[in-house]
Amino acid sequence: MITFLNNKINAALVGSWMIGWLWLLNPVDAIAQKAAPANQGRSSAEAAPLSQIQSLQLTSQAFRAATKRVMPSLVSIESFGGSSVKAGRIGGIRKQGEGNTTGVVISPDGYILTSTFNFIREASVVTVKTSQGDERVAQILGRDDTRKICLLKIDDVAGLSVPEMQPAEDVKVGQWAISLGVGYGDQTPAISMGIISAKNRVGGRAIQTDANISPANYGGPLVDIQGRLIGICVPMNPQSQAVAAGVEWYDSGIGFAVPVDDFAKIIARLKDGQRVLPAFIGIETGPAEGDGMEINGVSPDSAAAKAGVIKGDILLAINDQPINDMLRLRQILNRFEAGQEISISIKREVAKAEDKAEAKTGLKKIKLVLGSVIDLTPKEPGEQQVDKPKVR
Amino acid sequence: MIPFNFRLIKIFCVLGMLVACLATPVVAQPNQVATGSLQATIDRAQPAMVKVFGAAAGKVEGVATGFAVSKDGLILTSQGVFLDGKRVRVVLADGSEHTASVLKRDRQRQLALLKIEAELPSWFELADKPITQQGDWVVAICNAFKVADKAEPISATLGIVSLQSEMDAKLTKRDYAFRGELFLIDAITSNPGAAGGAVLTADGRLAGLVGKIINSSETNTRLNYAVPCNVLHAFVNGDENASNTLAASELLAEKKEIGELGIQVFLMGGRKSPAYVDRIKRGSPAAEAGMKADDVIVSINGEKIASVKDFQDTIKTLPVGEEVLLIYKRGNGLIRQKLVPAAKRKRK
Repeated sequence: MITFLNNKINAALVGSWMIGWLWLLNPVDAIAQKAAPANQGRSSAEAAPLSQIQSLQLTSQAFRAATKRVMPSLVSIESFGGSSVKAGRIGGIRKQGEGNTTGVVISPDGYILTSTFNFIREASVVTVKTSQGDERVAQILGRDDTRKICLLKIDDVAGLSVPEMQPAEDVKVGQWAISLGVGYGDQTPAISMGIISAKNRVGGRAIQTDANISPANYGGPLVDIQGRLIGICVPMNPQSQAVAAGVEWYDSGIGFAVPVDDFAKIIARLKDGQRVLPAFIGIETGPAEGDGMEINGVSPDSAAAKAGVIKGDILLAINDQPINDMLRLRQILNRFEAGQEISISIKREVAKAEDKAEAKTGLKKIKLVLGSVIDLTPKEPGEQQVDKPKVR
Repeated sequence: MIPFNFRLIKIFCVLGMLVACLATPVVAQPNQVATGSLQATIDRAQPAMVKVFGAAAGKVEGVATGFAVSKDGLILTSQGVFLDGKRVRVVLADGSEHTASVLKRDRQRQLALLKIEAELPSWFELADKPITQQGDWVVAICNAFKVADKAEPISATLGIVSLQSEMDAKLTKRDYAFRGELFLIDAITSNPGAAGGAVLTADGRLAGLVGKIINSSETNTRLNYAVPCNVLHAFVNGDENASNTLAASELLAEKKEIGELGIQVFLMGGRKSPAYVDRIKRGSPAAEAGMKADDVIVSINGEKIASVKDFQDTIKTLPVGEEVLLIYKRGNGLIRQKLVPAAKRKRK
């Protein structure tokens, strides 16, 4: 963490560009919606221009209005019991997923989305407190490990407030973003503001923001300046699929939320209690001479092994998209999940060719169904428990 | 330059801002600089800011930030062991160095008031009521990582007020001595050397003092918090007894007779497992309330009971005759139950 902050301060010397930036952003965004006619940030002949501080103060009003609007849809989640999945620290976080965490209501009858990070300790009892103050025991239904979210259900509730959503295609890089979470222990959420830094991160699953994202708001909403839901805050790191990967970037200016338009596609599966797993192909790769990547090893029983990929093959493309380095391979695999079919193009030594056509070109296209790491290591500690809540 | 800027919305420093004046015409207009820009706010604040140097303790450097609160040499900073050394040095905005004496400290709120024998060029007024609310923009001026030396201006960081709260009720209650009102900000200030810095409203009024580095026991992340101006006002203007009375009432509480509810939790699962009821003592308050084996206790008096350990720790503090609110889980429901601890019966 310290390294990060240090960098930020070093980098601060170039940061002064922001003054002009705020001026530009205000009119198109907060001010236009909430407090003043459009174009006011840039002076016109009739209206006196707002000073920088006046326009900042108007954005504060907008932040509060946005917070107020989404608040009824926030729930506070508590977990009881459970132990640390992994000993030691992850990114400086000593005890992972403890304390109050946040969730977002997505249906009036009690379906709630939150981050899987909040259940990293495999709590045996989970309770949810709605903004109306009702407290219920929650069932953990399905989870999506590629998006780090899971679905909770509480019973005997009706008329819960569902947030309005900002369609993902309308989300613009540079627009305001506000993260909310009750993780500091209050019923009132803490808020943090920032902008949308990028879209289509981590295999197209996440939106990146520089609002503070941390264990205090994982599972909470990232909203726009009107209080509409952009996504659910989650820890993410494009380099790793581990459940806590990304937490080392907490409050660093690199934060992620999974956008809302994806939810509809997966929600039905999560309601069924299904688990969406990251894709695992089962190959070890290294640089090749020329195009592609050389396959240095194939994990037994993996998707690649089942499809007949062998050591020494050169991986040229996945679904016709060329692969030339590890990063590209990971980026492309990130777009898929376990169970999906892909086609891979490989080049094989002529001596190992299986038929004449292949021997002629050395090229081969193979269809394979992606597996998951869990298929191979079913006994990995702490993997099965979160699927089905252990309620006595 | 521009690709680096994703992070830099919230943080910039005065040196950079001077460059910005030249580069950004919006800011360069003289009337705005004078009447309503952050640059004016920060420029005005700098003469009242000081760098504080004390004794290093182990790996922790004895560095903090401070700010003037009177013309005649009163300086507010953060309390810490670095003030216990032979000499505390204060470096003013003009680079001049002065020896400071420690006038008073508040260990509950982690504040210290210093005095130097010199006139200060500028100082902050302390309001006796909070002047910020959630969502307000604030500028934190603090010397994190000792970036500024001698007469160099201290770094400014932009953020908003994330949450107004109370430490003893909500935050880090087990780990940390801080008590009282505070507010959280989303600028990153929890770094070495930053404590004691000034948190200003966008228009330059003093809103609070940058707190020390602490981790939240709820999330185990660092908190970026500030002590609000009204607390500072009370501290500077001599409300010294507040913390003492608090401690006294706590002592009193400890002398009370501790009662029992008659709940025995299931111990075989270890101290980290949830507090499942194993047995209810016959005739006890819990038995009269109808509690049964296999209920799970999740909260006592609003305190979360996450584990057997939490239950055991809490149960030791409940005085006889003082009603407690217990929440337990039975099946899929949560039941709220008021119980009055009874005097412990001695074994025959």
